[in-house]
Parts: sequence; C-alpha cells; structure tokens
Amino acid sequence: MKKYTVINTPVHNIDGIAKITGRAKYTFDITLPRMLHGKILRSSYPHAEILNIDTSKAERLKGVKAVLTGKDTLGLKQGIWRRFKELCDEEILARDKVRYIGEPVATVAAIDEDTAEEALDLIEVEYKPLPGVFEPLEAIKEGAPQLHEQAERNINVTRHIEWGDVDDGFQKADYVREDWFRCSSQAHVCMETHCAVADYTPEGKLTVYTSTQSHYYIKVLLAEILGLRENDVRVISRYTGGGFGSKFELDSAQFCSSLLSMKLCQPVKIVLSREEEFTATKRRTPMFYYVRSGVKKDGTFLAKEARVFTEGGAYTAMGATALYLTGFFQSFPYVWPSYRYDGYRVYTNTAPTSAMRGFGAPQATFCAETQIDLIADELGIDPIEIRRKNAMYPGYEVPGQATIQSCGLDQCLDKIDGWIKSRGELPRHRGIGIAAYGFMSGGIFNWFDTPYAFSSAVIQINIDGKVDLFVGSQDMGQGSNTTMAMICAEELGVKFEDIRLHMGDTENCPVDLGAWGSRETLMQGNAVKMAASKAKQQILEFATAKLSPNIVYDLDIKDGWIHLIARPERGLSYYDVVKEAIRGKEGQPIIARGHYTPHRKGMISPAYSFGVQAVEADVDPETGKITLKNCVTAHDCGQVINPLGVKGQLEGAMAMAAGYGFTEDLPMDEGKILNPNLVDYMLLRATEMPETEVMEVETYEPEGPFGAKEAGEGLTNPTAGALSNAVFHATGISIKNLPITPEKVFNALKEKKKK
Amino acid sequence: MSYQCPVCEKIWPDTMELARHVFGVGDQAHKDWVNSKGMNFIELLLIQTMEPGNKGYKTLAELLEREAKKVD
Amino acid sequence: MKKKLLHLTVNDEYHELYISPKKLLVEILRDELGLTGTKRGCNTGACGACTVLLDGAAVKSCSILAMQADGAKVTTVEGLADGAELTPLQQSFLDHGAFQCGFCTSGMLMSATAFLQEDRATKDIKEGIQGNICRCTGYNSILRAIKAVAEGKYKEEGR
Repeated sequence: MKKYTVINTPVHNIDGIAKITGRAKYTFDITLPRMLHGKILRSSYPHAEILNIDTSKAERLKGVKAVLTGKDTLGLKQGIWRRFKELCDEEILARDKVRYIGEPVATVAAIDEDTAEEALDLIEVEYKPLPGVFEPLEAIKEGAPQLHEQAERNINVTRHIEWGDVDDGFQKADYVREDWFRCSSQAHVCMETHCAVADYTPEGKLTVYTSTQSHYYIKVLLAEILGLRENDVRVISRYTGGGFGSKFELDSAQFCSSLLSMKLCQPVKIVLSREEEFTATKRRTPMFYYVRSGVKKDGTFLAKEARVFTEGGAYTAMGATALYLTGFFQSFPYVWPSYRYDGYRVYTNTAPTSAMRGFGAPQATFCAETQIDLIADELGIDPIEIRRKNAMYPGYEVPGQATIQSCGLDQCLDKIDGWIKSRGELPRHRGIGIAAYGFMSGGIFNWFDTPYAFSSAVIQINIDGKVDLFVGSQDMGQGSNTTMAMICAEELGVKFEDIRLHMGDTENCPVDLGAWGSRETLMQGNAVKMAASKAKQQILEFATAKLSPNIVYDLDIKDGWIHLIARPERGLSYYDVVKEAIRGKEGQPIIARGHYTPHRKGMISPAYSFGVQAVEADVDPETGKITLKNCVTAHDCGQVINPLGVKGQLEGAMAMAAGYGFTEDLPMDEGKILNPNLVDYMLLRATEMPETEVMEVETYEPEGPFGAKEAGEGLTNPTAGALSNAVFHATGISIKNLPITPEKVFNALKEKKKK
Repeated sequence: MSYQCPVCEKIWPDTMELARHVFGVGDQAHKDWVNSKGMNFIELLLIQTMEPGNKGYKTLAELLEREAKKVD
Repeated sequence: MKKKLLHLTVNDEYHELYISPKKLLVEILRDELGLTGTKRGCNTGACGACTVLLDGAAVKSCSILAMQADGAKVTTVEGLADGAELTPLQQSFLDHGAFQCGFCTSGMLMSATAFLQEDRATKDIKEGIQGNICRCTGYNSILRAIKAVAEGKYKEEGR
C-alpha cells in the first residue's frame, strides 16, 4: 500500500469552487438588515494634543445616527501583549493626543457611506500641534520630542541575544567586515481592505464579522476594550481576503464598528478605503542595521555582532516580536560560534510598524546574505561554498535559543548549485545571486497569556461516515483549510471529500491563536492529527470485535478501508463500521478532541524550514533598471502536505519579497506617506514576474504532523538578499539600502565609474 | 552561586544574565532601580550600541555584582 | 439628484432599475443586484478586482458609471458557470491552484475570459491580466491556468 493516500497528492482547494464562482462571502460582501455604514475621522497631524472635538454639526446632518470619540470609550489601552502591560499602548480612538497621521479620533455611523463621509468633514477637532520626530536615530537623541510618557528617549523595547565569546571570536578572525544597511518599509496590500460588520443586540451580545487572521485574538481583545465578557463576543471570519501579518491585531474597523453598534443596537459596517489601508494600518518595520562579521581565511564563521534600530512608529503593535525575530534570524541559517545582537525599537511619529510576512526575518536575511557575498568575494570563495561550510545541520543547537531537528539546507545548496551550473555562461550585465534562509514553524511565545492550548481541533463522525472537522485556524488564502482537511483525512483513513470543515467562527470552533508566524501546518496540524487519531481509535475498537486481530494496533484505516495491517485485503468498509459503531454508542456520533502546545522547544519555535534561493537578473547599465529573469528555490518544508498549496505559497512569497527588494517602498514627508494608492505604490504585476521554479527537498520533521513544517512565510526572507547579490555579481556594486531602485543602481554605477 | 534581581527577585546564574534580564524587562521599576544607583538606564542602553565590546551590559553587570543579592 | 431608469442585462437576466446617475456600475451590481462576486479593491481602477465583461470586453466596473452601461450586456463571475458546470477556465484555475485568498479571483477570471475570447491572437497572456493585481499567488499559477486553456487542454464543448 502507498505510504499516504491523501498527503502529497494534488487535491483541489477545499474552498476553491466557492472562490471561483464568486459565491465565497467575505466580510466585505456582508449586508445585514438595518445595517448602517461607518467611517473614521483620522488625524492629519503626526503629533498633536487634542484640545477639543466638536461633533454637534456632524450629529445634526440628516442620516447621521451617531458620532463617537475617545470620550465614548472606556479609555483603555490595548494590545496583544497582555503579559506586558506597558506594551499595550494603543487606544485606537485617541483621547488626549495623536501620534501619527491617520490615527483615529472620531467615528460616524450613518445611513450610507456618502452621508458618513460628509459627516466626517463636519467634525471639528481642535489640535495643538507638537513637534514630531520621524527617524529612530533622531528620536533617541536627547531633547527629541517624546511620544509616550513612559518611554524616555522614545525607546520602546530592547532585545539582546548573545552566545559564545564574541570578542574572542573577532580577535581570532583573519578577516573582519562591517556594513551598515537600511531596510525599508512595505505595505501588506491585502486585496480585501480591513473591514468589519458589528452587530450588537439588546441581549448584550456582540457579533462581529471581520476579515482577520485570528478570530480568537479579536474576540478577546474586543471584549476587553469594550468591557464585555469574552464569550459575549462572537467573531465570524469565513473568508479573509489576504492577511500577510496585517490582520491579527485589533484594528480600527473592528473597534469603531463595535462601539457604534453598541451605542445604536444596529449593525454597523466599516470598510477601510485603500488610502486608509496604506496610511492607517500597520506595515513592515524599517530597520537600520549595523552588522560586523569575523571569519577565518577559509570562510569559516567565527563571530558576528549585529545592532539594529527599528522605526517603531507610534505604537508597539507586534513590533516587539519583529525586533526579537530579526535578531534571531540575523544568525540564520548558519553556525556562528559566537553571536551578539542588540535591537532597539524606537517610537516615531509615523504609522506603527508591526508584523508582516517574515516578521523581521526578511530584513535580517537581506543584510546577512548581502554581507556574506561581500565576504566571499573578498576571500575568493564561491558563494555556495561559504554557505555550505557554515550551514546549520540536523541536530545543531543554537546556544540557548533553539534546537534544529530536521534540516535539508545542504541538499538545497546542492540543488541550487546544480541549477546555477546549468545556466552556463551568462550574458553581460546579468548576474545570479543566491541567499539561504530559514524560518520558524509557529512561535512558542505566549505574550497573549492565553490559558488555552495554542491549537485545538474537534472531530465528529456522523452516521454516513462524513467527518465534521472543527478547527480554530484561520484560512486567509494560505490554504490551511485544505491542509487541515488533508491531515484529517490521512490520519483517519478516509477520503478528502469525506471531510466537512468548520472554521472562522468563535462560537463553534475551538481556540487557535491564529494564522501568523507560520503556525498552522505544524500547530493546528498536530491538533487535527491528534483528534483524528483519537476518533480512529474509537472506530477501531468496534472493528476489533469483527476482525479479531491479536491486538487493536494490528488494525488500520486507509482510504475508507479498515484492515489488518499484515493482510490489507482482509477488512471492512469504514462506512459500515461507523454506522454500527454509532448505533452501539446509543446513537452518539463519534467525537474526539485534539490539541497542541509546544513545550520545552527553546525560545522561538518547535521546528524550522530551510531553503536556498537563486535570483537571475539583468541590470541595464544605462538606466539602472533591474529585470528579473529567473527565480529558483530549493526548499525544505519537511513532508509536503499539499503540493499545489506549497508551490503557490512559494511563488506568492517570492513576488511579495521581490517587490520588497526593488519596487515597493513607503516614502514619507514628516510622517505623511506619499504614495498611498496602487498607482504610486509599485507592486509587481504579471508582466514583471520572472520564471519561477521550486525544487522540494523532503526531510522529516519529528515535531510536525507527518513530518511537515513551515512553508510560505519563510520564502519572503531570501529574495531581497538574492536580488542584491545578483546585482552585485552583474555589476560589482552592492546596494545596502532597500529597495534597490534604478536610481540607486544608476548612481552607484556612476560612482564606480568615477573611481 | 546565583544572583537575584533586586526588583522582581527572579534568580539568574550570573550577573550578565541578570543584566540581560534587567534591560530586557526594561519596565519603569527596573529603570528606576538602575537610575537610583547613580547610573542612567537609557544611557547604558545606548552605550551598548554606540560603543564596541558589550560595554552597556558589562557596566550594568558590574553594578549588579556589587548590588544584587547572592543566593546559593 | 433625480433617479434615472437603467436597462441592463446581467448574466442573461434583464433588469430595469431606477438609480441615482452618480452610481458606479460596481455599486449597482453589488448593492442593487446582490452580485457580490465582483469585488472592489481600490476604487481607482488600479487593482482590477471589479473587472466584469461589458458587451464582451473586460472593464473595471468601479471606473464607469452604471448609466454608461445602459442597454448593455454585463457578465459577472456569477454568470460564468452553467449551474454546477464550470467553464474550462474555472476548472483550470481549480486544477492549477490559481488563487489563494480569492479576492482578486473574480476580476482575474473576467480579464482572462476576455483575453481568451478576444485578445489571444494579439496579446501575451501576461498582458491579458496586467491590469489585475494579485497579492497572493505571484501570478505564475494564474498564467499557467490560462495557458492550459489557451492551448486547448480543456475541452470547450457545449460552450
């Protein structure tokens, strides 16, 4: 018999038909009876005291139902950092002070969007402008304007990571190199903007439909900030139009619509405009990096020191985690005998920076991989070889931080090496750059202080053998619904079509912390596998009576066939046994639960994905324009569960990461984002996509379900670095300031010519 | 021998670990303690990144060596 | 503003609607006719999520007034499949995993449908969907799906 009947076979996305026929109902599509439309008034100052807000004119406008300000809230500060109160610093509706352009100050509900919009213009806010500070290196200076009372010199969070004897390592190094890098910001640009429909009823229950990555977080955070009990809030999120890290914190659409609905006892819908999405939701953290590395003549790594100041924006958001992860992944995926990292997150009067696909690691990988190629070039070592010499390997322990179990990095290097050689001689002005990377499979941290398991699943098997699978995980497009159904079908031994998946509703789904940090495949997957295994056990108890094996462990189910493992032809139909089993249980369906929480798995994650990416690009010496030709990735995500899904994740991540590398940016003037629309913000279009190829390196991750681990988020890590290396090999110039725009390349080429 | 955090009484194996804890938590109580010993918490943090050789942490560790309660 | 009478055939169904002449085509489709398969991602005509077929040509329904479509035939994503029978392009999207979050998918399908019906002789596939942004897939799976149909790998019988 085949090892797996469902896993690693190309199945159709479980939500596919709903999505391609236009029937999938997103929050954006929801209309409820008596529903009102809400809008949010936002600060046009980067830093100001709010002296007074006069809402009377707006309230008198025909069609306006309510105008609320910070005074109508409980005045609580919120955040995911429930264990670290000082980091919960955002009110959402500001009461006394605004700290960035776009911060909400008032919200309106009206009979339609136009009326609500008109009412915003009638709200009179009296501000006292304060001096602002926009760059982290300015904000830490003595005498700089201070954003938060408790944050002297605007220092929000600091992180220190250290192992080995760094100073000794540098002493022994034959070659020491130091570089400064600037990593830019990036917008998530979910196609569905942040939106929510809140429906509060006189029973004291609040239902919120919303586009989110974690219905559990939103439920708890809303309850807290609104003064409700956790389970009086129900959050529903069946389809989410993209997340990429921007949708697991409480947002202004969710909070303001809930507040308005509670006031009016009527449903209120708020959809952020594309401009609000750019200016007033969170974004990738800009980083100012100093990286110093000491190596032996033969390329062996000895010591590394990294320091970073990150532009925090006005609030903590998830930026504290990005600060930790960027420091950890700065050392990845290599063996550094000694390493020291100091990271400071600094408040500035700009839109808050937070989680975005890669969570600090793309910035770190860009710096690290660019520097490694510069070192290799200086020492005359091949880029593949210097990486191979220092690559992490199975069983390696990152001192005090993590234990690497499965690791296919070496095989990835082989594959990429082979591909580069197959390209032969490259034309002039063309280069191939590589970057190696790794990423976590879900974080072990519990700053949210949840008393629940990190992931849970419930299975109910019905009389016809159909399986109801209830998961807490959130599918925002990454395909976790399909993955969970596959894991369930495989473990239980039934067909993929037998699974009916229930998700996206806190009322009937168990708790899961949500889709961020590449959690779902490993964490929710393990919970689903456990639940399926327990349900299977119950079925096998009945089958044992019929098939009389020596012990129950001699039985298994595959593809709907319950059989003796030693003699697969002897068996019974799963569907028949389920019928009898349920009858035997006095008519009770078979129910089982599963859960997963990582224990004693280091500081970061229970498992790590690895990979190497090669980017081939042309650089036009006349204009500095970069054209991507090929992007090839060798990737170790353990056992592939859904091959179609993995490929899609890899290609999608690459497109987003290439955008980060050379086209996307959020330039600002005194805290004002200058390109808050899809014309001036340059996303890659279909015509700019290179050929992509994905080469899977299969390993077995003991901690993951069926040996699986992260696939998709980590792939945003290598591309900017691989691209910068491609430019370096094509032209001999190294751009250390993202994005690598034609202008920067052109100027650097001109500079080089002068010399 | 181990060292006890003078603010939250958590035990650490050596003063460098304890210094990391004090900076890492970095809340008002920990800041106040450092400042009350005649040092400036924020300056120490900034020295760490502005000057080479782990200086901020070493300075704090030396202070803790003198001030923190030693436990067995 | 005085309401006007709009005559519109949407997915082979004829409608007469009194509407405000300010209304965009996408607003009529979504809010009046309940065809929420057509999405809006930007309202500036840049993202293509609202793409529909207007007399066979792909247009961004957020950038034209409904009254400009008076008397025309509109096809939205809901009008592609015939009952449970998917179009070859939809089937190919499914087989190639040519969508993830799905929010751009309706617009993508409409642009690709127009491309396959009208423009494949003169345009590259990539140009056919250049006006549609997808933040999830990196486009290549979508291009493969369209290519497979263009190459006749999906039967187009009875359609």
